[in-house]
Amino acid sequence: MGVVGESVVRVDAASKADGTLRYTDDLPFEGLYGAVVRSEIAYGKIRAITFDASFDFSDIIIVDHRDIEGRNANVVLTDDQPFLAEARVRHIGEPILLLAHRSKRRLREAMAHITIDYDAQEPVLSMEESLALKQRLYGEDNVFKAIHTVKGSPPQKTGLFSLEKTYTTPHQEQAYLEPQSMLARYDGGRVKIIGSMQCPFFVEAALEGLAGEKIEVEQAPTGGGFGGKEDYPSLIAGYAYLLCKKAGQDVKIVYDREEDIAYTTKRHPSKLRYRSRFDATGKLHALEVDVTIDGGAYVTLSPVVLARCVLHAAGFYDCGYIRVDARAVATNTPPNGAFRGFGAPQVLFGIERHMDDIARHLGLSPAAVREGNLPGAGSVGVSGVPIAEYARLRDLFETARRESGFDAIYDAPAPNRGIGMALFMHGAGYTGVGESMLASSVSIALEADGSVEIRVGSVEMGQGTLTALPQIVADALDLPVGMVSCRTPNTAEVADSGPTVASRTVMIVGRLLAQAAGKLKTALGDYGTPDAYRAAVARYCKSGGPLQFGASYEQPADILWDEDLFYGNGYEAYGLGCYIAEVEVDPVDYRVRVVRFDAYNDVGQVVNPVMAEGQVEGGVAQGIGYALCERLVYEAGRVYSPHLSDYTLPMAPDLPEIAVRFLGTDGPSLGLGELPMDGPSAAVANALVHALGSAFDALPITPEAVEEACR
Amino acid sequence: MQITCTINGKIHRFDCAPETRVLDLVRDAGMTSVKAGCGEGECGACSLFVNGRLVNACLLLAPQIHDAEIVTLEGLQEETAAIRESFAEHGAVQCGFCTPGFVLRAYDYLSHGGERSEEAIRAALDGNLCRCTGYKKIVEAITKVKS
Ligand code: FES
Ligand code: FES
Repeated sequence: MGVVGESVVRVDAASKADGTLRYTDDLPFEGLYGAVVRSEIAYGKIRAITFDASFDFSDIIIVDHRDIEGRNANVVLTDDQPFLAEARVRHIGEPILLLAHRSKRRLREAMAHITIDYDAQEPVLSMEESLALKQRLYGEDNVFKAIHTVKGSPPQKTGLFSLEKTYTTPHQEQAYLEPQSMLARYDGGRVKIIGSMQCPFFVEAALEGLAGEKIEVEQAPTGGGFGGKEDYPSLIAGYAYLLCKKAGQDVKIVYDREEDIAYTTKRHPSKLRYRSRFDATGKLHALEVDVTIDGGAYVTLSPVVLARCVLHAAGFYDCGYIRVDARAVATNTPPNGAFRGFGAPQVLFGIERHMDDIARHLGLSPAAVREGNLPGAGSVGVSGVPIAEYARLRDLFETARRESGFDAIYDAPAPNRGIGMALFMHGAGYTGVGESMLASSVSIALEADGSVEIRVGSVEMGQGTLTALPQIVADALDLPVGMVSCRTPNTAEVADSGPTVASRTVMIVGRLLAQAAGKLKTALGDYGTPDAYRAAVARYCKSGGPLQFGASYEQPADILWDEDLFYGNGYEAYGLGCYIAEVEVDPVDYRVRVVRFDAYNDVGQVVNPVMAEGQVEGGVAQGIGYALCERLVYEAGRVYSPHLSDYTLPMAPDLPEIAVRFLGTDGPSLGLGELPMDGPSAAVANALVHALGSAFDALPITPEAVEEACR
Repeated sequence: MQITCTINGKIHRFDCAPETRVLDLVRDAGMTSVKAGCGEGECGACSLFVNGRLVNACLLLAPQIHDAEIVTLEGLQEETAAIRESFAEHGAVQCGFCTPGFVLRAYDYLSHGGERSEEAIRAALDGNLCRCTGYKKIVEAITKVKS
């Protein structure tokens, strides 16, 4: 009955399509609406807060930092970010006060009657200003985290060519369609949090610090996350909690789109300098990469994003000398955070553009240069250990090159058209020893009717958890998938399976669930038919054995990682991609259309092919948006136009037919969520370089940028 | 001010400020299939029918629906059954937040005799945002709705 590998229809499809599924803002609610009063300046001290005496504030719940009973710190990796500003603000939009009232209108009026005076200081608005120490924002040097790593030794060979290029990538907005929303339920002195989130246990941990006690956190159906609901929900949950606690009533906070775009976390912008040395065939002999990412005003997840930048900076190419110097810096802009790909899309744009630049420099084909640099049995990656995936990578590359007809199109492109390629990998699961630190656990429960319930903190946010995890358990138990379901993730009721991030749900949590299911199966003894299964369940239940079965993560013995040396297996395994884009440029208005996109992936065994294709198609769409149209303009530390009318996302007519292929499906299941975001931007940019013969080194490549390059 | 309209065949009376968005009005009346995605007419998540025309509820103010006939997905369950089935079967639903809007868009398109070609359907979907799917499966689902 091997349900793994079958395109089971999503269990939540019907309730989503008929509109009956209730997201946070749709839940029955009688209470107060919450709102956030935010800093108007990017950097400075709060001098005074004035409540207009002519306005009656008596019925408005007002919270400031003095209402916090626990710690005023959102502890992610460190504790530098307060929930509510005390004396100083570090970015526009930093929360200072919270208000709640039954009427949204009265809330707005109240907000208009509060004045905050500041002693403003010159803000640090760019990575350059930060590194030049225009102001000291963090530590001695404004660097949240720096990583330096060297592998091999510089080539002794003479007569090598060299190339140095700088590539830049911008902020990117997650643009999940459901804005951040959180509901705090008040029940006789206790608060329960329900909301849109990826990581209920992260929220629970953040609230425990804030409240000084454990708060129950439940995930509501979540309308997209893409990383934007990894760390940010802890903040908005904190706001809802504080208001709810003070008001003694339910409080709901739902951001409107403007607030969501302007103040929540984005993808880190990056500046990437690639210096390479190579021979006349394009074979790499040395690669030096310098990476700077903009963390914004607080540390949040930047150190981990940076680690992912370093581990992906050289791709999987074979090179005897790789050096990476990377840093995440502080600026007075809203903090940046997790976004699908988590540091990899930035550097993979860099290395994949650079491989094409090397080819151009030598007048060779980009496919030939990549082929000459494919890793082999002895090749080691940037963290000093062999690239175990080398054979699969070659397979993927060769298949993609052949089936897409890359060479023929490259050699004879149609007018105004070009073809581009990106060959890349994505580490699945947490970086380094992250997984063993998380020590995830899972639990499944056998019900008297023989059905099985999965109890994990992994959430459904559109990617298919509620369907894929039951498929895995049903497969292990030889049951129809309908016999297995997931309990709503609630920190009081499920096992902490870690956050729903880093392409780890199927790979790590799925594997643990299969182990737990194996224990259940052993307990039940042999059963071959549904009837025999029911009989076995009845026998077992009567015997009084435990009804819950668990499993916990144990680091595989052959995985080693030294964080200080940045040496070892950065990941347990990598997903692989070879993406090919064909673009057409309109010579009149400089619009770029991607006319064809082929996505070849190797992510091992695919649990649900239709859902997996959907993940790739959606990721490619986001990647094409990142490449061509998604642009946030910041002015003096503020998002200039926080609207979806200005921040253009691809719509249906803007996208080509995306052809998705999966190779290597016999291996263990690897993460798939992030991979498709990594390759498109370089493939599209390389295709444009091919079409127009100009350099496109900065994203997004808008029509204005194309026009500029053509002039 | 007083606003009277029918929503899914039932008469509703609202006492509301004239600047109240129709989006909030119908959601408060319990029609939560109408979602607030962008609030400015860009995403189509708040789609509903007003006197037979598919419009974005976030762009309408209460007085504009006085005496009007409003229909939301809640009131079109039977009519959209085949479309919804096709969406589920072809993997056109991911996070689902955009889905009610797309189902209504597809219903509007097909019931006006829209052509079943991929290109025409893609063009018809301009105005509905989906951040999850990349649209391919939505287009496929609409092409394959059983009539
Ligand atoms: S909420 Fe109305 S179009 Fe987006
Ligand atoms: S399915 Fe999530 S926005 Fe469309």
